[in-house]
Amino acid sequence: MAPRGARAEAAASSGSEDEEEEAGFSRSYFLAKEKEPSSGKKRARAAAGKLSDLNLVDEQVLRASLAEIPPKHEEEVDALTRSYKDQYRNWLFELRCGFGLLMYGFGSKKQLLEDFASTTLTDFTVIVINGYLPSINLKQVIATIAEMFWDQAKSKRKRQPGTRSQLSQPFPSQSFDDIISFLKRQTSDDVDDQVCLLIHNIDGPALRDAESQQCLAQVSCCPQVRVVASTDHVNAPLLWDKKMVHTQYRWSWYHVPTFAPYKVECVFYPLILASGGHAQTTKTALVVLQSLTPNAQSVFRVLAEYQLANEKEEGMPVSSLYTKCRERFLVSSQVTLNSHLTEFKDHDLVKIRKHSDGQDCLRIPLVSDALEKLLQELG
Amino acid sequence: MSAPSGDTPLTAANNIQPFLVLHKAAASSVPSSHARRRIQTSQPSSPSTYLADRCHDAARVQCEDEGDLDLYEQLRLEAFQQTWSKIQSTIDEVLKGINLKLFDQVLQWVKESFSLVRAIARPHHTEVQQSYPLLTDVICKRIPTAFILTKNAEFVDDITTFRDLAGHLESNGCHLAKLSATELSAKHGVGGCFRSLLRQLLSDVPDVAGVSVLASWYCEAENYDKPIIVIIDDLEQCSGDVLGELVLMLSEWVIKIPIFFVMGIATTLDAPKKLLSSEALQRLEPWKLTLGSPSDRMNALVEAILVKPCAGFCIGHEVAMFLRNYFFRHDGTITSFISALKLACSKHFSLEPLSFLCVGMLEEDCEEFWRDKFEALPQQIRKYAFGFPSCASAKISSNSSNNIIEGLSKLLRLQKDWGSVLLCLYEAGRHDKVQLLDIFCEAVNPDLQTENVLFVSEVTCESLSGVKSGCGKRSITQVINTIRHLPMETLLHVLEVWSNHLKGMSEIGMSEINDKVKELQSTTISADSVRLAKEKWTRRSAASTGNGTDPLNEKAAVLLQDVTRKYLVPVECLPFHEIICFKNVDVLQSALIGNPRRMVQLDLLKSQSHLKCSCCRNGTAVSGSLHDTSIMCNLAQEYGDVINLHDWYMTFEGIINSTNSKAKRKSYSSPSKKKSKPSSPEGKAMIQARFCRAVTEMQITGLVRMPSKRRPDLVQRIAFGP
Repeated sequence: MAPRGARAEAAASSGSEDEEEEAGFSRSYFLAKEKEPSSGKKRARAAAGKLSDLNLVDEQVLRASLAEIPPKHEEEVDALTRSYKDQYRNWLFELRCGFGLLMYGFGSKKQLLEDFASTTLTDFTVIVINGYLPSINLKQVIATIAEMFWDQAKSKRKRQPGTRSQLSQPFPSQSFDDIISFLKRQTSDDVDDQVCLLIHNIDGPALRDAESQQCLAQVSCCPQVRVVASTDHVNAPLLWDKKMVHTQYRWSWYHVPTFAPYKVECVFYPLILASGGHAQTTKTALVVLQSLTPNAQSVFRVLAEYQLANEKEEGMPVSSLYTKCRERFLVSSQVTLNSHLTEFKDHDLVKIRKHSDGQDCLRIPLVSDALEKLLQELG
Repeated sequence: MSAPSGDTPLTAANNIQPFLVLHKAAASSVPSSHARRRIQTSQPSSPSTYLADRCHDAARVQCEDEGDLDLYEQLRLEAFQQTWSKIQSTIDEVLKGINLKLFDQVLQWVKESFSLVRAIARPHHTEVQQSYPLLTDVICKRIPTAFILTKNAEFVDDITTFRDLAGHLESNGCHLAKLSATELSAKHGVGGCFRSLLRQLLSDVPDVAGVSVLASWYCEAENYDKPIIVIIDDLEQCSGDVLGELVLMLSEWVIKIPIFFVMGIATTLDAPKKLLSSEALQRLEPWKLTLGSPSDRMNALVEAILVKPCAGFCIGHEVAMFLRNYFFRHDGTITSFISALKLACSKHFSLEPLSFLCVGMLEEDCEEFWRDKFEALPQQIRKYAFGFPSCASAKISSNSSNNIIEGLSKLLRLQKDWGSVLLCLYEAGRHDKVQLLDIFCEAVNPDLQTENVLFVSEVTCESLSGVKSGCGKRSITQVINTIRHLPMETLLHVLEVWSNHLKGMSEIGMSEINDKVKELQSTTISADSVRLAKEKWTRRSAASTGNGTDPLNEKAAVLLQDVTRKYLVPVECLPFHEIICFKNVDVLQSALIGNPRRMVQLDLLKSQSHLKCSCCRNGTAVSGSLHDTSIMCNLAQEYGDVINLHDWYMTFEGIINSTNSKAKRKSYSSPSKKKSKPSSPEGKAMIQARFCRAVTEMQITGLVRMPSKRRPDLVQRIAFGP
């Protein structure tokens, strides 16, 4: 179980350099055998065009254009999405039969699934999990589900006066296993009591680890819980072992390409033509930040808050950062601030550029949404 | 539904919240039926890809009478639940039956070990709770442990076995706890794992949990004097350190609290030696057991759920072949076979409008049931029933309910006969290690009747007998050939089983056959006293294997051949079989084995086939009007392992620009057309933005991996060739 998950993670996210090199070597060997020698790695090297040769526009301009990309094939995409409406009935039928629905195929399935949920799953309580986000607290999710069942049971008890039981402690402070065993005890013949978990990107960055998948699998086999999920990554099936697939999730696969743009899913990925393509993601930034001292984190927070408040500006001048930090007793001298800034720069947490009036400006290379998220995570 | 982007306005908050409650369950079912109606009124724009056309038509037939739609769907859902719970309980019974002998052995062992422990010392309640050891002559610190060899590389099948074992032991007066590999992991440590053990035994676990808590629980009157069994189902996956620590801890208490282990081992008996420290190993008193093989279980299951009509539902030849291959080549676990069957079953009830009639097969008075149901059907659906291809070939055209009831009754009768004959075949075939699943697959083949596979001369049979049963073809021929060479003793046994199987058959002709079987039996017996006959026949058959067969064997073979030809009628040859038989293998396959690796690439490479637009030509050249990510994916095909970003971008830009300039040229000729793209810098930013988004989308789907710091100009391709 664990190795499987780990393998999937390695396959899905970027692996170590050595691994990459090794796999790359064997693969290109076979590719070279397959194709004529001019193709493959050799060709890529021979052409040797550099990204820096391109006349790249500024990142902010790039982001502005990104929001204005004219949609292609809008009508056809709509028609395609609409065509799946005929199947809603069958999907519901299978859900009622006890299967989990797993949607795959190219294109964002967020709209499709939410439309399915709001038109067809009206008898269910639907809880949406946005798996494309960089981090998700699954315990909160299951605590919410448990609370929902508890409330349902409570309202039923009110209607039929009888024995009353008291919750020993609120769900969020119970252990994961306790909540799961509570959920497993929930049985009812009433279909209205069922909860449907709608998981966008069950293979998303936050849910890609073995532990999250174990947790979701355990929730999905609770008698009153049904799961509808979408996956986008081609290696998604590697996340699950046979026990999860056949006895817990009980997937019924559906191929539903929508060709709808991955608008919200894209937000947390770096742009390849900005900052050399290896820019920060919230996840990597978080890892770096968490390893720094609380003071350094606070300095970063000051910078981030400034950037969120003044989105239009090119960045925060170093001098004003210094004043702010001194005010809050975060740094005592320019030297300490500089040492923090060097740390940030080394990990690509900030970028320095010259302001139009000549002084150095600091900017965090993350979009506002991602930055907000990061601050939340940093807590 | 309006445009998907505008249908449900999703606020930014909804998108960045980790989770949210979309809506609560509607209090009454009124809004749901309203919603359902809305679905129906939406115009179906393109035929769905994986619904068989016929089912689609059928659904539309039903749509006309909307009120009934929900009703019949509910009926079908109930029918599914009824059918599957029947199948599931049959499966449980069969598996339990197979394991019962083993379970009893375990129980016996538990009892013996318990009395052995009790023989050493019988501590008083107060003594148990004291933390220092008992003062006895013998100091016993060894925990009786049963190692069960599962012989399964894949653990998933054994979950049910161990669950049943737990139930069996519990019902026979043992305390039960199960520890899984996740609990016995380094992360949870011995504390976490002991806690979960306590949670299963005690109703209320205090925050500070030690063995003393367990001891005081064990001293309660209702708990005392029963052994505690801890089942660890997959030993190899556990952390050796944690398990070792647990063993050492519990072994100190074994006299006071009799805890025994049952451990499942998938590999060999060496596993505990590799896993545990020698110190921990010394504290175990091992005992070994072995489970039956998966193919034995498979044969028993096929007999119970597919051959004997246990729930009315059955599968067609293609589906059977698919399931067989899925089992033998793909997976090899009973669990996945069952889940595939369940999926097939749900697909059947979901797609076949008349499938709710299936439950009639289980009713006492099935004809009455069908008459009731069928006469209540609206005219359209009745018409649909007589439009089955099987009815057309059987030339049933009149629309009366008698016809369908007769048809279904006949179906039921013939299915029973078919099953009995199949079991006769298997009885003979098992002596040649023919798998029931193989015979089954052949017996449901509708070509069986037309192909005349049974009229193969003996010469061909001889040559075929060498072919292993794995190939799945001509198993029946092989079986008949086997009979010719069976030793007399076995043949007698086979004949006896045959007469048992044939007893229950309904056709008048069957009794005739049964008589023949009896006659055969009596010939052998009357020839001499049984023993003499056996000796004689065995000697003779041993001598004659090379150059011919015994007349009696020959007679039995001819009889079986005859019976097979007459009564082994595959269900797909019978009218109205569509109601009970699931045949749509493509639907099953696509739902069972999602293949994102291939399909996502195909989506992108052949985007026109999904979007059905008029602008993109189906030619070989990549057109700029394609979906951006589709263009990029097409371009990526020309690269090898890594893609040079610069080149990739330049080609992409080239394609977009060439399309734009074409559009520009067009716009000169027809000024009413859309304005062409704005010129240079903004246009460049836009192209770069599109490029970025396409790369990100490919990254989300996992087709490429972002450049590393060392090689910032190269992205790596992950998926190759759809």
